[in-house]
Amino acid sequence: MVLNDVNFSVSPGEFVVITGKSGAGKTTLGRLLIRDLLPIKGKIVIDGEDLNQIKPKNIPLIRRKVGFVFQDYKIIPDKTIGENITIALEIGGYNRKKIQEKITELLKIVGIPGKEHLFPGQLSGGEVQRAAIARAIACEPAILFADEPTGNLDKDTSVEIFNLLKKINDGGTTVILATHDVTLIGLNPDRNIHLEKGKIVSDVDGKPSKSEPSSDSSSLREGTPTWPAGPRRGKSHSTKRKININK
Amino acid sequence: MNTALKNIRRSPFQALSAVFIISLTLFVVGIFTLVTLASHVILLNFETKPQIIAYLKDGHTTDQVAGLISTMTSTQGVKNAVYISKAEALEIYKKSVGNDPVLLGTVTDWGIVTADILPASVEITASDPSAFNTIVSIMEKSDIVSATPQGKKEIDFPQDVISELTKWTNAIRGAGLILIIALTFVCILTVMIIISMKISGRRTEISTLKLLGAQNLYIIKPYITESLIYGLLGAFFGWTLSYIALLYSTPFLAPRLGGVISFPIPYWINLSLLVGLLAFGLILSLISSFFAAARFVKRSR
Repeated sequence: MVLNDVNFSVSPGEFVVITGKSGAGKTTLGRLLIRDLLPIKGKIVIDGEDLNQIKPKNIPLIRRKVGFVFQDYKIIPDKTIGENITIALEIGGYNRKKIQEKITELLKIVGIPGKEHLFPGQLSGGEVQRAAIARAIACEPAILFADEPTGNLDKDTSVEIFNLLKKINDGGTTVILATHDVTLIGLNPDRNIHLEKGKIVSDVDGKPSKSEPSSDSSSLREGTPTWPAGPRRGKSHSTKRKININK
Repeated sequence: MNTALKNIRRSPFQALSAVFIISLTLFVVGIFTLVTLASHVILLNFETKPQIIAYLKDGHTTDQVAGLISTMTSTQGVKNAVYISKAEALEIYKKSVGNDPVLLGTVTDWGIVTADILPASVEITASDPSAFNTIVSIMEKSDIVSATPQGKKEIDFPQDVISELTKWTNAIRGAGLILIIALTFVCILTVMIIISMKISGRRTEISTLKLLGAQNLYIIKPYITESLIYGLLGAFFGWTLSYIALLYSTPFLAPRLGGVISFPIPYWINLSLLVGLLAFGLILSLISSFFAAARFVKRSR
């Protein structure tokens, strides 16, 4: 059994870092969140919806609520960065006209503007990871789960990626970062859950959870675009979305 | 559409083989459709023609003919009995050879063949095929019915031809149907294998799409579109081939079937055939790709 007796809930707008050694169950937790795996026992509830109870035809809808940054990026290699993001936007129901605008905006947010015509092979590891994050947040999910997003990156790039995730969180998105990278733990997250052999050994809440996105969050990173840009986000996400995991 | 075209460009030989097998199948379907139509027209032509024709000796009198017709019409099972004079026989001949200049050229008032060499006849339509033997035996006893030098009365009994023709037509239809079914099966399998190979090659991409929240329809759409392109192209090429085959065979068929089928074949028949083949091609490719795609999408998470 990978996870056992794991019980926690994440409030809207929280930034949670889940740490643990390889094999501790961090990825399994993420896969459970997008209903890629089903728990043998227990419940996973997202926004009041029990993932064990949802019909198979509704699984895609749950997956659209949770943006996922994969450990191995899962960027389609023979499609350009723009095409990769287009896929996510098409799945999210965006029309052709809006897609182009959105790609430009997303690439600016993640810090690789103008790279939509390049193939993943033409980018550095950090840039591909940024593209993967852009794809994950393309449809403005309420929750972003980043599974070892810095696993293959150097320290400086890892910090940049962490800051990017923080910026996304500042916009109201609940961010769950699964990592074994100790350098990220010290970057003052709201909350740190530590897993060992599939069990929670510590759950340290650094700050009270945010119920509203910080209005002056953009000032923290002056000169960079803020996430989210549209009026769709904010209150509705931060007040409603909640994750409970009880295994 | 763009993804489908990109998939085709990526593996042109697979695309070529899919289009080739669909073209071949639909070419055969096209040809057999035309053959079936033609045989139907031929059968109809035979069936609407008089079933028994008795050729008369030269020098018969009107009374003799009237007597024979009266006897025939009073016979049970005879629907109709008509006298065809030599002049009428010539008209029928002209009509039956169609526009063929060679055959028409031989029928001239100043040449070798004139109306005189054609015999007058009595044509009988039976209401009941079982009365054929009685009708023929009455005609054989008539003095005005001509006979061969061997003494055999010249009575045409085309019912044999009809039954023979029906047998042949049914055999051709049967063989055609079996061939079409076999080719359709091979065609569906081939397209299915090609699409399955393509999907299999992109399994990782498909599982990524599923994890991103794509519905099954979104995932299989490019593969179904690709297959529909094969279907449309195959149908068009299949129709083109059958049209070429028809054009090439027209000089051979026209003089033989001139009186029964009008050549060239009217454009609306070819157009209907094209529409039919396009529809068949689309259905064929839709079935193949749907099976292939559904199988893989179901398997992947």
